[in-house]
Amino acid sequence: MTQHQVPPGLIGARVRRKEDPRLLTGRAQFVDDVVLPGMLEAAVLRSPHPHARILGIDVRAALELPGVFAVLTGEDVRAACATPQPVVWRMIPDQRMTDQYALAVDKVRYVGQAVAVVAAVDRYVAEDALGLIDVEYEVLEPVVTLDDALAEGAPLLYDNWPDNVSCRQTIPKGDAAAAFAEADVVVTETLTYGRQMGTPLETRGAVMSWDPFTDQLEGWMSTQSPNLTRDLLGEVLGLPVDHIRVRTPHVGGGFGNKFDFYGEEVLAALLSKRTGRPVKVIEDRLESFVANAHSREQRIEVSVAAKSDGTIIGMRGTVWAVLGGQLATVGIGPCWLSMALMAGPYDIPHVEATVVGVVTNRSPYGSYRGWGQPKANFAHERIIDKLAHELGMPANEVRRRNLIAPEKFPYPSQVFFYDSGNYAECLDMAEQAVADRGWAKRRDAAAEEGRSLGIGYSFHIEISALGPSKIMNQAGLQHSSFDEEVVRIDSAGGVTVRTGLSAMGQGIETALAQVAAQTLGVPLDTVKVLHGDTETNPFTGYGTGASRGAALGGGALLRASSRLRDKVLRIAAHMLEADAEDLEITDGVVAVKGAPGGPSVTMRQIGDAAYRRLDGKLPDGEDPTLEERDVLDPDNVAFSYGTTAVLAEVDRETGRVELLDYLLVHDCGTVINPMIVDGQIHGGATQGIGGALFEEIVYSPEGQPLTTTFMDYLIPTASEIPTFETLHMTTTADHIPGGFKGMGEAGTIGAASAITAAVEDALPELDLRLTRLPVTPPRLLDALTTATPKDPS
Amino acid sequence: MSTPTRTGTSVSMTVNGEQVDRHVDPRRTLSDFLRRDCGATGVHLGCEHGVCGACTVLLDGRTARSCCTLAVQAQGADITTVEGMADGAELHPLQEAFWKHHGLQCGFCTPGILLTVQELLADNPDPSDEEIREGISGNICRCTGYQFIVDAVRDAAAVLRGEKATEAE
Repeated sequence: MTQHQVPPGLIGARVRRKEDPRLLTGRAQFVDDVVLPGMLEAAVLRSPHPHARILGIDVRAALELPGVFAVLTGEDVRAACATPQPVVWRMIPDQRMTDQYALAVDKVRYVGQAVAVVAAVDRYVAEDALGLIDVEYEVLEPVVTLDDALAEGAPLLYDNWPDNVSCRQTIPKGDAAAAFAEADVVVTETLTYGRQMGTPLETRGAVMSWDPFTDQLEGWMSTQSPNLTRDLLGEVLGLPVDHIRVRTPHVGGGFGNKFDFYGEEVLAALLSKRTGRPVKVIEDRLESFVANAHSREQRIEVSVAAKSDGTIIGMRGTVWAVLGGQLATVGIGPCWLSMALMAGPYDIPHVEATVVGVVTNRSPYGSYRGWGQPKANFAHERIIDKLAHELGMPANEVRRRNLIAPEKFPYPSQVFFYDSGNYAECLDMAEQAVADRGWAKRRDAAAEEGRSLGIGYSFHIEISALGPSKIMNQAGLQHSSFDEEVVRIDSAGGVTVRTGLSAMGQGIETALAQVAAQTLGVPLDTVKVLHGDTETNPFTGYGTGASRGAALGGGALLRASSRLRDKVLRIAAHMLEADAEDLEITDGVVAVKGAPGGPSVTMRQIGDAAYRRLDGKLPDGEDPTLEERDVLDPDNVAFSYGTTAVLAEVDRETGRVELLDYLLVHDCGTVINPMIVDGQIHGGATQGIGGALFEEIVYSPEGQPLTTTFMDYLIPTASEIPTFETLHMTTTADHIPGGFKGMGEAGTIGAASAITAAVEDALPELDLRLTRLPVTPPRLLDALTTATPKDPS
Repeated sequence: MSTPTRTGTSVSMTVNGEQVDRHVDPRRTLSDFLRRDCGATGVHLGCEHGVCGACTVLLDGRTARSCCTLAVQAQGADITTVEGMADGAELHPLQEAFWKHHGLQCGFCTPGILLTVQELLADNPDPSDEEIREGISGNICRCTGYQFIVDAVRDAAAVLRGEKATEAE
């Protein structure tokens, strides 16, 4: 099914990206390319202990090293800051907050926590100085795992808490107890999702320049959320936001890791204030592994109550969030979302889900593409598979029986209203595509050769276009989530779009340019998109995350450009002595509809009439200049969705899983650029594959992180990744101008569920339930050898 | 700015066709030398332990990890970075193909991948998809999922073999 809110044209076209020539030639500027006169470089001393009390820090020797300009410790930072590091998602009002500063003050609670920072003439000397800082620690017993943290008599991370639980919340819908009491069948599973992170290839960094005479702070940061960063810098440093300018050069991958607000930005600012020079801090990869937000790790207990025909009537679940030693910027947010979306795409009348946030001596838990959704997906899809197994039905039959029907939208879940969708059609399309491609025949033929191939499916939903600000505030967000866009036509007819969104590889420049160009009727190459400067660009609430950029930025820009087009037509009508209603703009030329070769004016002439030679051209009552601004604070979020199908082969000797084919049927409403959408799906799916099979942050029993290089934390390379195929449906978001839905996180969400199902299908004679991610070869080999043969009945 | 803790060493090399003579710290990495002393900021640092490949340059025609090479080790070498690929304002066919096929997203790994592929195609002008994937398996891309990179390399190989024309936009 395909719906159209906007006529086909540049919106929907597979055009090349505007940002690419500079990225391809080495001309794009990333944060580490920013060099200012007199700039110093910083290095951070990090805790080698997972849990210890700081008894004293001696920085004298470091300060004496030639080339060192300043050293800060936790006490300096606390004295200089107006507030601790902020937490913007506060969904649970009575949550115990951790209130930590950019440097540890009294205790360290994870390996890698920042303890001191040095500014020196360059990074080489700054690192030399780190070796001269003497920290005296009283080492405490670490709390390494969830079970350690919850154990009776466990050491406390926060001495004033009664235990290590930061928060707990249950959100019910209907009466789950009654549903479980009247069920024909109840199945239960406990799932373990491994600790993973976004690992953008460009590590995080900042260049901060504090003018001590005016208290103006100018920063260059690799961040997804420039306006939020400016506001949070203002809160922490006690500066009015008009004193702070955040510039965001090209961002070398974000994936949520660069949504969050970190202490290093604050440290660079304070060092700049102390030294009177600009200060750059760029983390290395080891630091990135311990100081960037970790994500994903949860234990999830999930049960469903069903009728014997497969109709699910109730669901219960508990998300145990394995938080780190302190709360990151998004607090319990991602884990709360796992709880809130646990029922996924299914029409389950009675749901009761709980989230429990538990602190451990691990790095803080924050944003990673998909947020809580890959875990929620693993919960609902794994339990669907188990229920199907229990009932002897194909899993897709159980899905089909329970997917929310198109006429039930807007559909009230535990928390959200899902806006629109044709879920069953999407599943049908995927099954048909798999049949057309003969996967089952390939599996069966391979079995005859003694090979083990399997087919797995998953269905995912993705919250996008986040979101209505006041509702998000009610949900606990300490920030807004609207988007503002500005479009201007200049005196020569060129178009400039200004956006507050960050360019982090998702092609936002191109996508916004396509929306403006089509709406204004001008060629794509006459549109320029400016981003990355809070001083000159509009305000985006939240940031460039939550799959909101194209949907909300695109929607706001569509409205602004429509109004600007109306003004262009009014001016043209005056110049052509025609009725504006009769005019159209094509390729930057305004002419009477259906009269080719007739009188016309160009966009250049319109620009001239609005800015320079107005007399006789600009209608009376019309203001000079051509600029419009629009703010989109949507009535609701928008839910994209898709079906993932995977053909996998298992090597029974080694436990290695190879993905042979990978198909995604997807619906994100109106597509702006199908090439970019496919690229986003491929990249997201690749991260999902990494999370399903390879990637895990591992801690030793003593609390030491063991995976701090790319030799240990295994990001998939081209050799591990299959060829992807994508098919698209279009069900528009009718509350978003243009009908756009976001889709940046799609691929990450359903990957692990489909892959685990495919692996189980490849081993049909075994009663094998994969409940732990990633499914590494040793884990699968272990599961293979311990699994019992299926009961032949 | 120099600091008293260091001893300098002279180093000379050719960077993108230009003769460069500098005085450097012996511990200065080739990547820092190229980025900071030669202005070649298209050399990117993704891991600084030789795994991700973002810092890949051509050293006397062969790929090298500039993060794990010292500047002094490149004494007398002929270095090519991504800045040296285009011919004036004309993109190299590889750059053109990556643009056409959406073979990049954030672009941070792209310089290293382009140079790796340049070496790959010099050794094997007509690689299969599997050979392309193996050829770039020492470079991590966290954005694209690799498929459009493979498409771009296949297409560029045909152009470089003279079997099809570059399709400039």
